[in-house]
Amino acid sequence: MNIIEIKNLSKVYDAKTIPVYALNGVDLSFKQGEFTCIVGPSGSGKTTMLNLLGGLDSPSSGEIRIANTDITSLKSRQLIDFRLRNIGFVFQSFNLIPVLTAKENVEFIMQLQGVKKDQRDKRTLELMQSVGLGEKINARPAKLSGGQQQRVAVARALASKPRFILADEPTANLDSKSAENLLEIMEKLNREENITFIFSTHDSRVVAKARRVVTLEDGRIVSDISKN
Amino acid sequence: MIFRIAFRNIWRNKVRSLIVITAITLGLAGGLMAAAVMTGMIDQKVRSVINTELSHIQLHDPSFLKNYEARFVIAAPAELMKKISGMPGVKSLCGRTRLTGMAASPNSAAGVQIMGVDPERERMVTNLYKLIPDSSGGWFNGSRKNQVMIGHKLAEKLKVRLKSKIVLRFQGTDGNLDEAAFSIGGIFGSSNSVFDESTVFVKKTDLDAITGGNSGIHEVAVLLNDIEGIPLMQARLKKLFPATEVQNWMEIKPEMGLLTSVIAVEIYVILGIILFALAFGIVNTMLMIVFERTRELGMLMAVGMSKSRVFTMIMLETVFLTIIGGVIGMALGALLIAVLHRFGIDLSAMAKGLAAYGVDSKIYPFITREFYINLTIMILSTGLLSAILPARKALQLKPVEAIRIE
Repeated sequence: MNIIEIKNLSKVYDAKTIPVYALNGVDLSFKQGEFTCIVGPSGSGKTTMLNLLGGLDSPSSGEIRIANTDITSLKSRQLIDFRLRNIGFVFQSFNLIPVLTAKENVEFIMQLQGVKKDQRDKRTLELMQSVGLGEKINARPAKLSGGQQQRVAVARALASKPRFILADEPTANLDSKSAENLLEIMEKLNREENITFIFSTHDSRVVAKARRVVTLEDGRIVSDISKN
Repeated sequence: MIFRIAFRNIWRNKVRSLIVITAITLGLAGGLMAAAVMTGMIDQKVRSVINTELSHIQLHDPSFLKNYEARFVIAAPAELMKKISGMPGVKSLCGRTRLTGMAASPNSAAGVQIMGVDPERERMVTNLYKLIPDSSGGWFNGSRKNQVMIGHKLAEKLKVRLKSKIVLRFQGTDGNLDEAAFSIGGIFGSSNSVFDESTVFVKKTDLDAITGGNSGIHEVAVLLNDIEGIPLMQARLKKLFPATEVQNWMEIKPEMGLLTSVIAVEIYVILGIILFALAFGIVNTMLMIVFERTRELGMLMAVGMSKSRVFTMIMLETVFLTIIGGVIGMALGALLIAVLHRFGIDLSAMAKGLAAYGVDSKIYPFITREFYINLTIMILSTGLLSAILPARKALQLKPVEAIRIE
């Protein structure tokens, strides 16, 4: 069953002067439990695609349905709530809250959702252990390496029990060992807990781990290959 | 969690936050000190006016107050004073003959208010007897007749000294002009140079002897145990003596009441200006914080933090900064005021100028509890108002753009 369906999606910048098509009539769908990479050269529309999927930007035309909700029709406030409850984000530069500990960073999303304290504590510990940072829960981001920070970011993305996780070049700022380690964790979470991951990346190691690779060029899908 | 994030965010750039907090602290402490000095000066002036000149309440014949004509005396003053002295809340009272006249020395002459008093009763109501230095005589010492107490300013004007003779000329209760020579028995120096220049005190019995009869009582001055008791006592006296004009000190000297109110407003205006200036510093700092944290704020909105929470977080950070500076500033100000209230601020260098305004050269600053409460409200309001612009800036961020800013 598809959890995301994209129909005829376009995003045009500077529509009134010299229009630039970041996405041009894209049709795409994602199933629960996918481990998908969106690849393509710079300017191909990868980031735009992720922004639209995440409800951070609005399309010029087309439809994005996530769990039968057309997110393009949602108002700003509804969209924020939708993101909180349905989508997990992992950013290229980690973007943890520097004044909170690793545990508090993970817990924060659940607090926004109104989860009770005992449940929050339990889930935070589980998540921190699942990303291999059970002993670093009280460390602030500045005391963690880049790889560790990104693992906390993955735990934070999972904290809200989202339908899928969008990861924008998650390994771009990591050394090879940390990148490998992070990918293994995400792959394990995907395999064992059926969590859907959608990446945009230039990193061949991420592409190698992905089970589906969607290639964009000039805002259009030029290939969509599933490995199984 | 938002409280925690907001509070910790303040300390991300410790130097900058400490500069803002220090600015608020010093601004407020300075403002408080200025306010306390002004309040202290006014309070001293009020006390001086009450203790030296007016007491808390005065009673007159209503017609006397129009032109100060000597014929308008209080009817049955002994009975009136007996009734008042038995009332709870009354500390002491005295009756005075009050005549308008001239004081003349061989060198000069001046218009004066001649107060015919019972020295012993007067001592219990006013503190004039304390204002005569040992070298300048004493308050009706001995039983010599025709002694007069004059202010040092009048002594200078008439070019007279202790034991000099002056002539007092006045119109008595019967309308006749009388005059007599008086010997200067004491020269007082209050903090009000105008009072010192225009008021002389003689024994009422001497006036009676000169006028050949009872010169009457024009004024009954009442001192209460507590200044707060004035409204109630005034109402009671008005009811009890409807044919008499009962005035409190502010009604007798409306300029004093006006001055007190004006100074109170002025103090708030000064603090308002200080807080207004500080608000600009706070707004500037918070705008810098919002611009520096654009990506983080974008991330928070991206992961699902509602705009109202982002707004609240920035508001809280601003309010925390303001409150920390405000509390320290108020504490520092209160400490300084307490110390200076104990030892006083010596402004002897400006004694002459201050005396012209009826203020003593040693000032004891203080501030009322009510003022602290109002100041707290003002500080909180400043914090909240300063937060609005930065918080609105934060709301205008678009997560999709904000998370890409380096």
